[in-house]
Amino acid sequence: MSSLIKNELIKIFKKKSIYITLIIVLAFMIFMNIMYKNTTTYYSYGGYSESDIELMEAELQSLDPNNPADMSTYIEIQTQIESARLQMKYQDENWKLSVIGTQILPYINEKNTLKYGIEKNEEEVKRIENTINGLLERLDQDDWRYFANIELQEATQNLESLEKQKETTVDKQELKNLENSIESAKIDKEVKEYRINEDIKYGNDYLNQALSEYGFQAKQVLEYKNSEKELKYSEKQQYQNALEAKEISRYIIENKIDVYKTDSLKYVLENFFNNFGIFILVIVVMIAGTIVSEEFNKGTIKLLLVKPYSRNKILLSKLLTTFIMIAFVIAVVLIMEIIVGGITFGFDSISEPTVVYNFNTQSIQEINIFAYVGIEILTQLPMIILLGTLAFAISTIFTNSALAITISLLGYMSTMFINQLAIIYDIKILKYFVTMNWDLTPYLFGGLGNMEGMSMPMSIIICIVYFILIAIPTFWVMKKRNIKNI
Amino acid sequence: METILKCENLCKTFGKKQILKNVSLQIEEGDILGFIGPNGAGKTTTIKLILGLQGITSGKVTINGYDIEKEFTKAIEKVGAIVENPDMYMYLTGYENLKLVANMYKGITQSKIDEVVKLVKLENRINDKVSKYSLGMRQRLGIAQAILHSPKLLILDEPTNGLDPEGIKEMRELLIELAQKQKMAILISSHNLAELDNFCNKVCIIKNGEVIETSEIEKIKKTNNINYEIIQIENTENIKEIIKEAIILDEKHFKIKIEKDEVPELVVKLVKNNIRVFGIKEEEKTLEDAFFEKTGGNVIE
Repeated sequence: MSSLIKNELIKIFKKKSIYITLIIVLAFMIFMNIMYKNTTTYYSYGGYSESDIELMEAELQSLDPNNPADMSTYIEIQTQIESARLQMKYQDENWKLSVIGTQILPYINEKNTLKYGIEKNEEEVKRIENTINGLLERLDQDDWRYFANIELQEATQNLESLEKQKETTVDKQELKNLENSIESAKIDKEVKEYRINEDIKYGNDYLNQALSEYGFQAKQVLEYKNSEKELKYSEKQQYQNALEAKEISRYIIENKIDVYKTDSLKYVLENFFNNFGIFILVIVVMIAGTIVSEEFNKGTIKLLLVKPYSRNKILLSKLLTTFIMIAFVIAVVLIMEIIVGGITFGFDSISEPTVVYNFNTQSIQEINIFAYVGIEILTQLPMIILLGTLAFAISTIFTNSALAITISLLGYMSTMFINQLAIIYDIKILKYFVTMNWDLTPYLFGGLGNMEGMSMPMSIIICIVYFILIAIPTFWVMKKRNIKNI
Repeated sequence: METILKCENLCKTFGKKQILKNVSLQIEEGDILGFIGPNGAGKTTTIKLILGLQGITSGKVTINGYDIEKEFTKAIEKVGAIVENPDMYMYLTGYENLKLVANMYKGITQSKIDEVVKLVKLENRINDKVSKYSLGMRQRLGIAQAILHSPKLLILDEPTNGLDPEGIKEMRELLIELAQKQKMAILISSHNLAELDNFCNKVCIIKNGEVIETSEIEKIKKTNNINYEIIQIENTENIKEIIKEAIILDEKHFKIKIEKDEVPELVVKLVKNNIRVFGIKEEEKTLEDAFFEKTGGNVIE
């Protein structure tokens, strides 16, 4: 048996096709890595230019602030011009831009309303102008904490006023709504505190993104938690997603590690299967779809069948060879990616752990990147093995390589379509269908399956059943076949 | 002598069409059996049944005492074969092809491979890709892979295809050597009778799926044999006047059906009539003549 497998491997590795396909994959891989490297997000100033301001000023000239019809437009444009000037002044400093937008703009608006609006109040305008100047002074001093503290104060005040309101409310429904608002306000306050405690300067970097993501997802989680109706299955899945995103954001903030950094070896390895799964599959299907039929088409099968081995053994050795090649192809593509990715991004990020949220232990889990890739491969293995076996079976039964390869790849491509159909229309019977079960990724770390009532052990059993269903007729046909003239 | 291959009443039907009807044949060690028949007679099908490549509808094949259907691996272990064409892995070299075969049997050493390569005279080209081989070279390689494990039964389906006369002669010598020295039983199928003449010791003639003659080669040539003597004289123009039974072949030859001990009297008679005799010889039938006599030409039904 081992000598048969050895012979099969010799035959595969002496052919050029496997090397050609691997070189194509390598070329694509280099291209993809370079693409990842160059899509690093640059937050350049995309705001106003001098000519924009001139245009706005020209428009302002045509308006009469004393005319009630023009008044609101006038105020709006005046505010726009002033904030645009500020933004142009600080265009190189990200955090200042965002502070201008969120914290200074309201004051400018208020000032202009009092200055040009119906109820003019010179004193108030003076006072607000002072405030604005004070804020701008803080901007010049680079004192972002000052603004953070103002935000925190506002959030605290908001929370306090809601709590006061709660004391005087009697109506049950209103009380319920109020409680929800209070919890939401608590999250707002928590986010502001987070900024100060974790020392996160305003801006557009990953920490700020994580901070806003944290706030958003925490509110989502809250919403699902407080839902009065029982959650639908899809909502449970969304709840899991939100919980995971929230906890990972928390991890990013507290550890100051950008786990989503795209231009790193770690990231491309984490997405190894998303990017290269299809290539691995194509090579595997190519091998599985030709390993038997080619011998029939070239007539060399007769050489094999007059050797002292039963047909079952010969076929089994070819199937096992296909499995060995699956492992080989995955290993080679992975090693190529490590090398190409390492050269493109550097190998430093390999020491960083991959961060996942474990729903069973309800905690963040840090995993070595190679262990993570290993787990990822294991979850995709049922699909690759089954599609490889399918190609193998068709190639044996119909002795037609093209048919075998085409049908297997169509099977892969229809997976998404069938699964979407099953989930959207809630077709319960499809949860026993192979495409719903051969990808174990959803179950990882305690995650929920594609549909209600699905579980990892069940999926594995279904995959094994399908494997047997494909294998039995293949071996039977091979055993009974008359070797026709060629 | 030990019987190596025995086919008993082999029948094969595909759908309604009966391809083989009660084919029986037998080969002892050291025998070279010429398996002769026109195209479509069922030669290759018989070989495929013997090798277990196709299911037997009824009948029995035993090789070395093992039933091919019931004890396939034991029966096939001591068999080497080329079926139809010498199909090799074209993208491999000749040597790599042999190495693959060697891997599938126990105890085939490097030196054994080299020895076989030398035997089929491929040593100069053995490291070339088979895709660069001529058909004749592939036939040689086919024979090499078939005899690599020193089989007791060698089955060659149309092995002379693509060989030049020199190649055919060499193969003939090789097969005779294998049969005589290694006591191999050899089954060799062909529709080209001239090539098998003088080199098989047995023949089996098959037509339309039926064996119509199995016998020693000398017997075949002589069966339903009325012996003729061919006599060469100066001029056959008026010979009929002297010998009524004469059959004129050409200007200088005629033949006559006659017992051996009547030959002297015939000579005396000719001499008395002033006819100069240049030579007398027994008419010898070729395998081909015998074949056409038996099959009545090449008709595919």
